[in-house]
Amino acid sequence: MSKNQNVATTSTGAPINKKPLGTRIWNNRGYYLMFLPVLVFVIIIYYWPMLGVRYAFYEYKLRNITWVGLKNFETMFAKKEFWTAFSNTLQISITKLIITTLTSVLVSVFLNEMHNMFAKKSLQTIIYLPHFMSWAVVAAIFQLFLSKSSTGFVNETLKSWGILSQSIDFLHTQSMWRPIFYLINIWKETGWGTVIFLATLSGINPELYEAADIDGASRLQKIWYVTVPALMNTVIIVLILNLAKVLNLFESVFVLYNNRVFDVSDVISTYIYRQTFLTAIPDYGYTTAVGLFKSIVGCVLVLVCNYASKKVRGRGII
Amino acid sequence: MKKKVLSLLLSTAMVASLAACGSTDAGTTTTTTTGDNTTTETQTSDSTTATSTTDTAAAEDYVLETLNIVVDGTVTATVESGQAEFVQQWEEAVSEKLGHPIKLNINQLDHSDYSGTVSRLLTTGQPGDEGYPDALIMSATMLRQYQTTGLLWNMADAYENAEFQSRVTLPSVNENMKTSDGALYGFAPTYGNGCVTYVKQSWLDAVGMKAEDIKTFDDYYAMLKAFTENDPDGNGSAGTYGVIAAGYGKLDEAPYINYMPEFWQGAYPSFYQKDGVWVDGFTEQATIDALARLAQGYADGVIDPDTEDAGTKQAREKFFSNDQSTSEGVFTYWAGTWLRTLTTNMEKQEVDNDLGDDRLVQLAPIQEIKDTWGGYLNREAPVWVITDDQDGNDSREQAIFDALLETMLDGDRVQTLWTYGAEDVHWSTKAESFKTNEGTENEKSYEYADGEFHLKQSPNDPNSLWKKNHLDAVLVIAPLTNGFVDNDELVAEGNKFFTENCVDAPAAASCETLTEVEAELVEVKTTLMKQAVAGEITPEEAVAQYVEAYGDVSEQIVSELNAQ
Repeated sequence: MSKNQNVATTSTGAPINKKPLGTRIWNNRGYYLMFLPVLVFVIIIYYWPMLGVRYAFYEYKLRNITWVGLKNFETMFAKKEFWTAFSNTLQISITKLIITTLTSVLVSVFLNEMHNMFAKKSLQTIIYLPHFMSWAVVAAIFQLFLSKSSTGFVNETLKSWGILSQSIDFLHTQSMWRPIFYLINIWKETGWGTVIFLATLSGINPELYEAADIDGASRLQKIWYVTVPALMNTVIIVLILNLAKVLNLFESVFVLYNNRVFDVSDVISTYIYRQTFLTAIPDYGYTTAVGLFKSIVGCVLVLVCNYASKKVRGRGII
Repeated sequence: MKKKVLSLLLSTAMVASLAACGSTDAGTTTTTTTGDNTTTETQTSDSTTATSTTDTAAAEDYVLETLNIVVDGTVTATVESGQAEFVQQWEEAVSEKLGHPIKLNINQLDHSDYSGTVSRLLTTGQPGDEGYPDALIMSATMLRQYQTTGLLWNMADAYENAEFQSRVTLPSVNENMKTSDGALYGFAPTYGNGCVTYVKQSWLDAVGMKAEDIKTFDDYYAMLKAFTENDPDGNGSAGTYGVIAAGYGKLDEAPYINYMPEFWQGAYPSFYQKDGVWVDGFTEQATIDALARLAQGYADGVIDPDTEDAGTKQAREKFFSNDQSTSEGVFTYWAGTWLRTLTTNMEKQEVDNDLGDDRLVQLAPIQEIKDTWGGYLNREAPVWVITDDQDGNDSREQAIFDALLETMLDGDRVQTLWTYGAEDVHWSTKAESFKTNEGTENEKSYEYADGEFHLKQSPNDPNSLWKKNHLDAVLVIAPLTNGFVDNDELVAEGNKFFTENCVDAPAAASCETLTEVEAELVEVKTTLMKQAVAGEITPEEAVAQYVEAYGDVSEQIVSELNAQ
């Protein structure tokens, strides 16, 4: 009996074969053969390019490649622009994550409270639509919309109403860039963000609301004491899952930023882009070093989030 | 058993497909005939290099079978506009000249990211690789950056011995490109051209001004104010601006100041030679004064705020937009052919159609420009460069020179291709008649007799006439000898006006430190310039911040340049 209990099993409960590895591979050669193409594909497509990270330790200009050790990292850490970009990345990403998650929760709750199904579905469709627009189009729309020029709808409207006497340069003013950026993100991504929360809300046991009704709870009290607690687990999971991706901020910033707001808008990916693609003869070694640093920090964040996920929901994200 | 067979098949298919992916071995085949009349064929690929030439091979024995060139938007015979016919006729004409067949591959890159893409092409490949250019176009600034890298071929001897030398009317263009030791890494088939200031005649009329009265910056500024405040479009409300440009200054492309020359005047926000000594123009008082003028223009609203981020396309389109209520009266842009192009675009947009070809007036350089530079700046010419395979043998490079550059200025068939495009596609000498904008009030009829050279309708726009291909017939250093001349009076007038009112721009600077930090300097100077113009900092602060952050680097660059 006790002997049987000590037998190692697979996740499906089948006993693990204790034969030598070579024998086991030979016995399952059909499966290994089927797996081989996938393995080759993954190695070539995903892992082979990773060998390029070695250039972080080289000076790589045109076809001249020279070993420089850690010099690229020293240069990177000595640059104010790098630290500005790093700091901006964390600030913008985390703030954006919190704001868009909260607005998504808020909108989900409101949608959940709507009883007119036609209005609810229509509103859902309307707020989903911006998600499917490319960032380039969104940027063009808002640049035109917020332009300081006489073609700018917002400025001209506010001036015609007498609210403004001078046009405001929304996207070129440091104090205004981030709030505008967050607003555009809310406009674009809130709708899509509600999908997962609405799914959670639809799974709340109706008996909880009935019980609340019997207890005389008002609508707001039901939201606060039933809906919100039911959502919290999902909110935390969404936050954790997205926290691992905070360094992957590029397109939305790239299409909306400009020289005058670099101090508050430049993020690591845009910094790498400029160093690589807008430099006449770039040093690919340096930009690879910055990219590698970003990847390492991203990896640490993923591990932290994995740990947090295990704590919160009992299983990791990787 | 079935499973094993299936897995085997899947594996084979995947491995085969991966092998196919990895085998992009469609490289060029070059045939080299050596001095002893033996022939070697070398199939080049990503991992191999064409090194079949031997030291004994004479240049004239090298047989170039494929020519890969990389070009920017200045080759206007694009894929959509008859490039295939251009290539076919080029191959026929050049094959005939060389006495053997030659294939031309054109890789036309996005004009706005040209230098970046070229950098990546030259980094990731080598001569012989598919896609690696045998020859390519570079701006003067790019040439200075690359000529010390060893990637470009010194074509000084080839240039000296070229057949077109006897017909060159502007030898100084290429002589000035030579380095101090006489090397020539780029060949300019034309001189550079530059920008002139265009003003809408209708707007001048509306505000009661005349172009000939605009002689000083004060006159110019008064005109901009009138265009901004005096309702030149006559719609009864504000919204117009004095001037628009693609940036207050384009600090990444020499000559930097040519889109707003009246504001910059004698300033030059980069490294340039002043009385024979290299200086950093961004630190000079002239730059502070220029930034102050721009800031004043921005604050007064005479400069369209869209100028800050506008590219050339956006600026152009706003200038000739159908909606003139938010447009501008002044636009400084390229001379010559562009006078025709801007006028045609205004016609298409039905702007000032009653004025015909007199819609735009070219403004003579204001006194402050004459007193400093002497006129509008004629930029350093873009060049063709040939990549060097660094095998110690010039036969490949000489063959590229002969096939591409020697024929480009042959005065006849090939030069016509580069100047006007493909015969019977872009131009013709056959009798024909056609109409543009048929059925509209802008309908125009064209009729030509047999043997009469004329440009045809644009392949991608039958409502406008084709203008030119890569070479400008007026700017070319060795004119056509076949008598083919485009008689567009407006283009001729534009070229004449520029020639009479231009001076050569300062030569681009090049040294090791500058190449390393140029992008960084451009970025910080652009940021400071924009902040100063928007009034966030004063012009003095802008220059002071630059000096504080990059003063040492600037001095180092100046020191290196003066030591050359």
